[in-house]
Amino acid sequence: MTYDLIIVGGGIQGVATAYELAKRGAGKILLLEKTFLTGGSTGSCAAGIRAQFGSEFNVRLMARSLEIFEHMDEELGYSKDYLELWQGGYLVLAYSGKEFEGLKRNAEVQHRFGLDTVILSHEEVQKEFPRVNVDGVVGATYHGRDGHADPFRVTFAYAEAAKKLGVDIREWTPVSEILVENSKVRGVKLEDGSKILADRVLVSAGAWTTALLKTAGVDLPLWGEKHEILITEPWERVLGPMVISFSRGFYIQQRPHGSFIMGLPPVDPEHWYEPEEFDFSSSMDFLMRMTKEATHVLPFLKGVNVVRQWAGLYEMTPDHHHAIGPVDEVEGLWVAAGGSGHGFMFGPAMAEQLSKWMTDSPMDIDLAPLAPGRFKKGALVVEPAVVG
Amino acid sequence: MSRRIQEHPILEFPRTKEITIVFEGRELVAHEGDTVASALIANGIDVLRDSMSLHRPRGLFCAIGNCSSCLMVINGVPNTRACVTPVSQGMTVERQRDKGMMP
Repeated sequence: MTYDLIIVGGGIQGVATAYELAKRGAGKILLLEKTFLTGGSTGSCAAGIRAQFGSEFNVRLMARSLEIFEHMDEELGYSKDYLELWQGGYLVLAYSGKEFEGLKRNAEVQHRFGLDTVILSHEEVQKEFPRVNVDGVVGATYHGRDGHADPFRVTFAYAEAAKKLGVDIREWTPVSEILVENSKVRGVKLEDGSKILADRVLVSAGAWTTALLKTAGVDLPLWGEKHEILITEPWERVLGPMVISFSRGFYIQQRPHGSFIMGLPPVDPEHWYEPEEFDFSSSMDFLMRMTKEATHVLPFLKGVNVVRQWAGLYEMTPDHHHAIGPVDEVEGLWVAAGGSGHGFMFGPAMAEQLSKWMTDSPMDIDLAPLAPGRFKKGALVVEPAVVG
Repeated sequence: MSRRIQEHPILEFPRTKEITIVFEGRELVAHEGDTVASALIANGIDVLRDSMSLHRPRGLFCAIGNCSSCLMVINGVPNTRACVTPVSQGMTVERQRDKGMMP
């Protein structure tokens, strides 16, 4: 069977794009996933959603993504409870005057695009969030529509909606090669040796994207970086916002279920380009650093039991922005990867805009500057508000 | 009537000192060396908490501190594992009805 489009990768990006394209009548679509839907970075992420970024791109895209999350129940037919949508805000703490100035500049960009981010002094943080230890905190910004959504259920909801629109989804079907003839994409070869033909191929395989593109002779500077994370037992709600610091690196949030999910970037991150290098082991070092930081910032966490710890890959690019759009070297080959730790939260908006791009409709937010060709041209896009 | 095992074909249970614990306002006899769960079960109490979502009764399950089936409010602290917490004189024990309120 021949498809109009094959999407490689069953994370939020691939699945949501499949849905958005099917909705726009983009022909017969097949989605292939190496393991199970959410089996890569989507399923190991921290489930946070926020519009508090610094670059115009990221702010506009995340403002749109929040809107999509807010109406996802109507769009996909699953309730907000099922999707575990929680908008308790993000409290971004600043630990120096310079950092606070940076957050204020970010807030200006956010205000420009209609977000009502609030700037809080040390005293206001203490008053509004009495559970937070404000030692060393100079000030903070808070945006109340930031929060949480469940990456598994959001992806599954997109998948079910896509299937209803006729998208074929195959799990446990690893792609070994992208087939190219005369600089034009022909389809994909599966690990079992069989071939599936298509006029277009979209690779949205997270940190696995780089190796797949290499089989088509395309070089993409996108690497995997291991980040560890843990989750505790559930308690009744005590913490509204995600508490986060860009300079210290921590993020801590209480999920709708009641558990606390938290992470901290690696001290000395390695860059992994080949899937053989990927390491998902959990370390004692992370557990010790994380619990020390968490009980310092949120002292009530002392005595709360950790139930699980795991690791996932940030799919990094040189400028911490997605690589999204057509690949210059091969006609019909597209890429959508490189969320740099934010792939899940950007997924809905990126999928929507990308599907417009792929169906030749005007984009509301022009993604062209994020096309993968920018790395060769040196046209990087800078984002100041990231963890790690 | 106590359900404490007095005679066992293989194991021996040496008698230890009697102490008192307070379960939901009721004084119960326990023995030093008991866990909270073993003391309650000896006193005929099998329901230790409500399940988190549907609020159905939950009792001892794994008995080794892993499963969360026996989380109780012990000396005022929620989410305490009754199966691995030793009793002490005057200890207060309550069934946990929710996910645990932070003090």
